[in-house]
Amino acid sequence: MTNSEQIGLNKTWELSLYELHRTPQEVITDNTEIAVSPRSLHSELMCPICLDMLKKTMTTKECLHRFCSECIITALRSGNKECPTCRKKLVSKRSLRADPNFDLLISKIYPSRDEYEAHQEKVLAKLNKVHSREAFVQSINEGIKLQSQNRAPRGRKPNETVTSEQPGEPQPAPENNTTNQTPTTTPLNNTIPSSPAPSGRSTPCDPPSPVSSSVSSIKRRPKSVLTSEKSEESDSTAQTEQTDTDGEGPSEPHTLNEIELVFKPHPTEMSGDNPLVKALKENSIRYIKTTANATVDHLHKYLAMRLTLDLDSQLSASHSLLNFCIYISPSAGQYVQLNGNQTLGQVNDKYWKENKPLEMYYSWKKT
Amino acid sequence: MAQNENPLYEQQPTAAATVLTVEKDGDTVARAQNDGHAVTKRLHKELMFLMTSPDKSISAFPDGENLFKWIGTISGPQDSVYESLKFKLSFHFPNSYPYTAPVVKFITPCFHPNIDTSGNICLDILKDKWSALYDVRTILLSIQALLGEPNVDSPLNALAAMKWTKKEEYKKLVMSTYNQA
Ligand SMILES: [Zn+2]
Ligand SMILES: [Zn+2]
Repeated sequence: MTNSEQIGLNKTWELSLYELHRTPQEVITDNTEIAVSPRSLHSELMCPICLDMLKKTMTTKECLHRFCSECIITALRSGNKECPTCRKKLVSKRSLRADPNFDLLISKIYPSRDEYEAHQEKVLAKLNKVHSREAFVQSINEGIKLQSQNRAPRGRKPNETVTSEQPGEPQPAPENNTTNQTPTTTPLNNTIPSSPAPSGRSTPCDPPSPVSSSVSSIKRRPKSVLTSEKSEESDSTAQTEQTDTDGEGPSEPHTLNEIELVFKPHPTEMSGDNPLVKALKENSIRYIKTTANATVDHLHKYLAMRLTLDLDSQLSASHSLLNFCIYISPSAGQYVQLNGNQTLGQVNDKYWKENKPLEMYYSWKKT
Repeated sequence: MAQNENPLYEQQPTAAATVLTVEKDGDTVARAQNDGHAVTKRLHKELMFLMTSPDKSISAFPDGENLFKWIGTISGPQDSVYESLKFKLSFHFPNSYPYTAPVVKFITPCFHPNIDTSGNICLDILKDKWSALYDVRTILLSIQALLGEPNVDSPLNALAAMKWTKKEEYKKLVMSTYNQA
């Protein structure tokens, strides 16, 4: 063991009760692999300010929350002198320390990060140049696609991912031990998987709320896109590849299959005098390409969004996003309404089976 | 030139992340404010997240092509007088987002102690309690919560604060304000 432990002893970490009393994790010396779900991995490695992967990690000395160096320094300079995550006072930059072990860890897990970032830069630059709705929607579609590709299966089994490497890395500083832990024991700054609404309080005229209540008012987003996930699409590397479908079991085939869809107005529900059909005219049929594990809900959202963009003022956003139904027609004249969490792959297998683009129908009502 | 100036255009992306070298306070803040690229990136991420989130009671999307202006919607909280009403809000993101809060206003008229007749909202997290960790989603959820639990002690709308305890009357005022839309 290196002297990182001694360093730890010399500092006041102000650990929480839980942190003080939890049983230390055994150091793993054999080949044991520990599975970490991609989602919990994301939240650990993500900077909550820029929502990207941590870059030049800085850790707050007292509350042990992590941010990119750039993000936290900017936050301290432009806002209150407190930890953005928990509102603990941060007097100055001296309340932070660099966390190179964590950077090392990230580069171990995501060796292709630079490539990914270069790719992301390119996409964004292109997007900014093209500057059109089309491109914008396109980018969002791609985002959704990527998300659904990478979405962890619903089940609780933590064995989706094998990320554990037991490298001859320098022994991490005390709060970095989490690498070897299962997500549930992780005492980290991060994400409460499905956070309730934050309770902001009216009003600025109030005396400042005590720290304790503010703590509860900051809840974190439950999940977010981990940038490196996307890299699987562009520059897959052996390691990240694993993170996505392992462990889904035989019921969910390892698919990154694409599915082509034709989306038409429901022939009876959407007759000629339906305001949406009127407004859309020849644009009422949509061709979509997406991944087989996107769900009907995704499609639903996409469709609503897409039509809103097309129709703009003709259809006020408040009701355009609602009231869509999606159907499939397994045989002529028969329409089955689809429920939201079915994946397109499942729909295809169940109702379609044909080797041509899946045809679906939508309907929309004003109220 | 272009009349329709768009931040997406104005801020050409510079080389990837700028390394922070400036040490003087003023300079760093200035840099933060000009880094529209980082803001764009974060807004894109928020958007993707929101679009795939299962929460049906809130939504938000950029208003047209300008990524720095969004329209959000919230449904009134259940079991409140606002239940089943849907409110539209506008978001205006500064270039210093997320280090400074966006300007958020009600577009749909809303009768509420902490919302004035122009749609301004009195909510601490949008002012002095802002944190860079808040995002569009948490803002919408906070405002949704505020609808059901107003702070009547320092109201922007004194009438609403006064009537808050008289449910019947209050509800009528809520509805008549809402129907002005
Ligand atoms: Zn960051
Ligand atoms: Zn903190």
